[in-house]
Amino acid sequence: MAGATRPTTLRERVSDGGVSAGRILLVAAGVLFWGWLLVSWANRWLGGVVAPVGDPLVAPGLVEGALASLPVLAAYASDAAFVVDLTPDLAQGTWLTVVITGVSLVVGFLLAVPLAVARVYGRFSAWLSLAYTELLRGTPLLAQLFVLYYGLNLGRYVPGALSGVFPRDVVWVAILGFTLNGAAYQAEYIRGAVESVDEGQITAGRAIGLSKIEAIYHVVLPQALRYAIPSWTNEFVYLIKYSSLAAFITVPELYYRADQVASETFRYTLIFVVTGAMYLALVITASKLMERVDDRVAIPGLGAARER
Amino acid sequence: MSDSDDFLRVSDVSKWYGDEQVLHDVSFEMDPGDVTVLIGPSGSGKSTMLRCVNRLAEAQEGSIRLDGEEVLSPELDVDDLRREVGMVFQGFNLFAHLSAVGNVALGPRRVLGLSETEARERAEAQLERVGLGDQFDSYPAELSGGQQQRVGIARALAMEPKLLLFDEPTSALDPELIGEVLEVMHGLVDEGMTMLVVTHEMSFAREVADEIVFLDGGRVIERGPPDQLFERPEKERTGRFLERIASHD
Repeated sequence: MAGATRPTTLRERVSDGGVSAGRILLVAAGVLFWGWLLVSWANRWLGGVVAPVGDPLVAPGLVEGALASLPVLAAYASDAAFVVDLTPDLAQGTWLTVVITGVSLVVGFLLAVPLAVARVYGRFSAWLSLAYTELLRGTPLLAQLFVLYYGLNLGRYVPGALSGVFPRDVVWVAILGFTLNGAAYQAEYIRGAVESVDEGQITAGRAIGLSKIEAIYHVVLPQALRYAIPSWTNEFVYLIKYSSLAAFITVPELYYRADQVASETFRYTLIFVVTGAMYLALVITASKLMERVDDRVAIPGLGAARER
Repeated sequence: MSDSDDFLRVSDVSKWYGDEQVLHDVSFEMDPGDVTVLIGPSGSGKSTMLRCVNRLAEAQEGSIRLDGEEVLSPELDVDDLRREVGMVFQGFNLFAHLSAVGNVALGPRRVLGLSETEARERAEAQLERVGLGDQFDSYPAELSGGQQQRVGIARALAMEPKLLLFDEPTSALDPELIGEVLEVMHGLVDEGMTMLVVTHEMSFAREVADEIVFLDGGRVIERGPPDQLFERPEKERTGRFLERIASHD
């Protein structure tokens, strides 16, 4: 695609076969989904320039009327109107889901890299890293969130600079919980990748006078992090879905909002099918994004032999 | 022969891996511009001896003095030492994520503290020197073994070392690729580079070495100028080894 020297992955070979109908559909759905989300969020921040804050972008009655006039789809007109009525809530919940996932993932990554390096190259620190990883991976995430929120009552101790950023400070407790837990899982993926870097690489780095830390930073990590992308993407995807556990410590993210409306209207099936589809859209976005990143940073001969 | 102003002076170096002694009181000396070749059967300790000189392996006894400084001193900063002693590996060990220029420039940039541009210029100059002026941006996986090893040599040269160590630089190469690497090494000899070489390339050793050191079982069995060692070996073991190698070629 971008040059003859780029490695051809299985994925590329499949997608090079022209623009398929499936791909068009996927891109259209993506544009619709993210377009709706971004406009909804912007509408809220700007104080309702498109539609009054809290109202759907399109009037539910309009959708119901349009569908009612069509054959077959007419049967779903009232359901569609109900879903449209939900969209402001869903958009707002998704905002928190995206922010919680994004921040936890990035901060967790910054913790995971030293944890993984310590595991492979440390002595005492390897033991500490192992203990941390096992503890966080070995206990239920929900229990960890409960300890942070109900047990330690951390919602009360959110620092002044962070307090008030979100509608409720408990969001920070959720971010802390997902960061600490995610770091343990990410560290495991990265550790595997660090171990797979040939030992001669660090020796060659040391031989030109790099210190051990410098050799790890300049030689081992650039390779290991590339290796780690495909498996690390799993953690990204999991975290999007795990983030729904924040609902149990009263964070008004996507799952929380859906559950609230469902318990008021008893339309559980419809609401959770729609909510599920929202998570699916987020997950597909994440994995497509990471495929892009993986292709972007690909280097001839590095990891290409594995044909992921 | 040995006096205190030798450029490199290895004296009575011994090393153990656990209970097994792999080097027994190894001694030899080099003057600036000398080429010394360590030969011997596999497992004779020659690569280990080489690695003791830049402290990739730790000798437990003896002394290695480089330019008057004790290499084995615990106070010595090994990173400073390695800045001045280049190494070329049997398996090339090129940084797999970096282009040829990136491989060569990493040391100048990160160890010597050159600017991005200076490091790149130096790397390009060194790649030209080993005949790879047309492969600046190729990644290791895109280069032949011979080209990779030449990048390895350029990487070591870019640090402007006062001593270059070669650890079986051609052993991992297909026979038809050995020549281009030896040619580069010949060039370095002509330029007066001080080189300590472990190799099985006997004709190369014979042509360029000032001294050959024959090791077996971690001991120096015999050493001397190539003509003497190849034509009139004093020890029976040396003769037998050379015969075996010769029949192998």
